[in-house]
Amino acid sequence: MLASVLAVAVKAAEAAGEVKAKNPIVPESKEILWASIAFFIVFGLLAWKAWPAIKKSLQDREDKIRGDLEHAESVRTQADKELADYQRQLADSRNEGGRIIEEARQSADQVRKDLIARAEADAAEIRARAQEDAKLATERAMADVQSRVSDLSIELAERIVRHNLDKATQIQLIENYINEVGGTRR
Amino acid sequence: MFAAFTFPPIDELFRWKDIAFNDSGYGINKTSLLVFISSALILLIFIGGSRKMKLIPSGVQNVLELTYDFVDRGITRDVIGNDATRYTPFLGSLFLFILFLNFWEIIPGIQFPPTSRFAIPLFLSLMVYVLYWFLGFKHNGIKYLTGHLFPAGVPKALYLLVTPIELVQILVVRPFSLAVRLLANMMAGHILLTALALLTSYTLTNAPIITIGPFLLNIGVTGFELLVGFLQAYIFTLLTAVYIADSLHPEH
Repeated sequence: MLASVLAVAVKAAEAAGEVKAKNPIVPESKEILWASIAFFIVFGLLAWKAWPAIKKSLQDREDKIRGDLEHAESVRTQADKELADYQRQLADSRNEGGRIIEEARQSADQVRKDLIARAEADAAEIRARAQEDAKLATERAMADVQSRVSDLSIELAERIVRHNLDKATQIQLIENYINEVGGTRR
Repeated sequence: MFAAFTFPPIDELFRWKDIAFNDSGYGINKTSLLVFISSALILLIFIGGSRKMKLIPSGVQNVLELTYDFVDRGITRDVIGNDATRYTPFLGSLFLFILFLNFWEIIPGIQFPPTSRFAIPLFLSLMVYVLYWFLGFKHNGIKYLTGHLFPAGVPKALYLLVTPIELVQILVVRPFSLAVRLLANMMAGHILLTALALLTSYTLTNAPIITIGPFLLNIGVTGFELLVGFLQAYIFTLLTAVYIADSLHPEH
């Protein structure tokens, strides 16, 4: 409408002879007419076909990039979380391993102490038994000695009684007896 | 000794005879033909290229996305706001339309920017003019006009000065400056390149020893005009976005 009004106005001016002179500045109505038709066709077709397609393409790419970035961020967050989980599990495992080792060490220590205690107890028992045996052997030996001394004393007494011995003979007799006893004990 | 250097009348650089519908009210001349070809190229590249968009872009898809992103982020969102992406199709189409028309200035064999014809900047700026007035009244009612004419915070005595200036500015200066900026830049560039090309041709015939001067200058200015063509398309689109933003949020 604008173009036609403009064209009519210019045409009227031309017809009136006001702009008939060859002035390159003066607009020509036919050029306005064709330019306006051409522009509105260009605008209409571009607005209908081209601009929406280009806009959609840019929007699709923007959405794709945004989606990819958000997905990457999500994956990264998930990976961070899993890494933290793994690190926590690793730390837990290390702690558990340390605890097991410590328990094993304590257990081994306890076993060692038990074994030592048992060995010491066994040794003490053996020692006590040996002492007991030695004591019994000593007592048995002493009893034997006493028995032997008694026997010998009786025998000596019998000999004394049987023989009235002089002093020198008595001394000789006693020394012999002593030597005899000493030899028996050795 | 030398033939005189003559520059053709300016009119010859910009006015073209009709090649179809001759001398009728809807005759098609070189300007209109280039507008059609530009439109066809834009549609071919942007509709053809956007038919099979891939997640990983390649080839022409990179160009399409770069263009959309440039307009959407660099102009629409930056100037109007993040909630204004519905204006991107219009601003993008406007940018491409002007850009493709501007680039004809440096295409060998063509070397004529249709935007150096006042008809096209005038049409585009008036379209923008209507659009921002419409949006201004649609979103703000009469406050769109009164907000401009009687800006808050200005002492009332100054309204005598400010109000007429603002009125002229939003009624005349904005569309006029928008159109003339594009027209003047493209027209000046076209005249300059023509002059340098003619000078090169002239010196080649009459003073070959200095031909290299205008020739190299012509190449340099061609590169510069590539930048100007882009920059003018950007500025026109950017200012359109500024005016739309002003219509939507005049308090800013």
